[in-house]
Amino acid sequence: MTAERCREWRESLGAQALGQLPAAERVALEAHLEGCPDCRAELESLQSVARLMPLADPGRFAEAPSPPPLLGERIAATIAAEQRTQDRRRQRRRWGFGLAWSGAAAALATAAVLAVFVLGDSGGSGGAPQRQVAFHSLPAGMKIDATLEPRSYGTQIEVYVSGVRSGTLCRVFLRDSHGVRLSAGSFRYRWDADSHAVLSSALDLSRTQAVGIRVGGRTFVAPVA
Amino acid sequence: MDAIRVESETLSGALREERDVREAYAAHAGELYGFAVRSLGDSGLAEEAVQETFLRAWRAGERFDPQIGSLRTWLFAILRNVVIDLGRARAARPRVAERGIEPSVEPIDEALLGWQMEEAMRRIGEQHRRVLVETYYRGRPYAEVAKDLGVPEGTVKSRVYYGLRALRVALEEIGYDG
Repeated sequence: MTAERCREWRESLGAQALGQLPAAERVALEAHLEGCPDCRAELESLQSVARLMPLADPGRFAEAPSPPPLLGERIAATIAAEQRTQDRRRQRRRWGFGLAWSGAAAALATAAVLAVFVLGDSGGSGGAPQRQVAFHSLPAGMKIDATLEPRSYGTQIEVYVSGVRSGTLCRVFLRDSHGVRLSAGSFRYRWDADSHAVLSSALDLSRTQAVGIRVGGRTFVAPVA
Repeated sequence: MDAIRVESETLSGALREERDVREAYAAHAGELYGFAVRSLGDSGLAEEAVQETFLRAWRAGERFDPQIGSLRTWLFAILRNVVIDLGRARAARPRVAERGIEPSVEPIDEALLGWQMEEAMRRIGEQHRRVLVETYYRGRPYAEVAKDLGVPEGTVKSRVYYGLRALRVALEEIGYDG
């Protein structure tokens, strides 16, 4: 029986794979290997392991170093933060689609506002001085400019916003000499387009003390000199 | 303000979610870190390498295909690239090895094979490891080792054989497919 005979030789295969078998035993083993494909296959398999042994450093066989205990948490936190950023980007893309839907309505509204301006201008209070207002204490990277101009119907307000999230709702109001707020309408800030909005209010510029804008959840107010 | 709902997406690959990363970390971070320390010789850089590996794996989560190879093999393939990148970056700013941990100087693939063998050695039994260290790495005769261990010489030979077989199994577990 091959298996019976092999049992005698198998335990020499390890030493043979590592080149440690004494010459006399090696000659005898090689004679057996000639006629035993199973033992030859086993030797080849052990030799493929033995070939890796010179690459290992026995000084490193002791316990491997463990990662610091908080590394896993740090990685999870980094990934969670990146995930949130990705989610926000995805939301913005969805906002973009939503706004495209309302594009036709927005175009109509703009046309209506322009019509009012044209009529207002033809009513004539042209030549009256514009008022530039300055917004201070804005967050870093954010910019708001407003120009107020008297019109026969009241006041025209041009607002320029930058540095806020695209799609942010901006509500504009004027405050009169009694401290009463009057809405001047609203618009959505969008990147690369429409950052400049033209709005109107029935309040006369001469009675306007301040102009305010609520951007997202924050309100900024600038006095009208 | 309009309510926005982000629909959860159908997830098919590994490491698409933070919890997948946590599971993969629990299973493989020890080995990845061990190899990173061995290759870079610096525990701080090794941490950086492991973190970068999981981040890259998470970002490329959909590219992982379990049909091609195990998650472990994939993570090691990423770590291999990270170690190469960090090694290049470090070449520009040489550092002193810390606490006697020397960065390995051999090519990255040899370092990976060497690390796999070291990891396999850690996984096999003490008796097997001992005879392999004494006879192979220290080059001592079987008779001398047998005398030290108080066993017949035939037992040393037998342990060398079964030690190699155990290493083969351990290497398979680790993912070595050479």
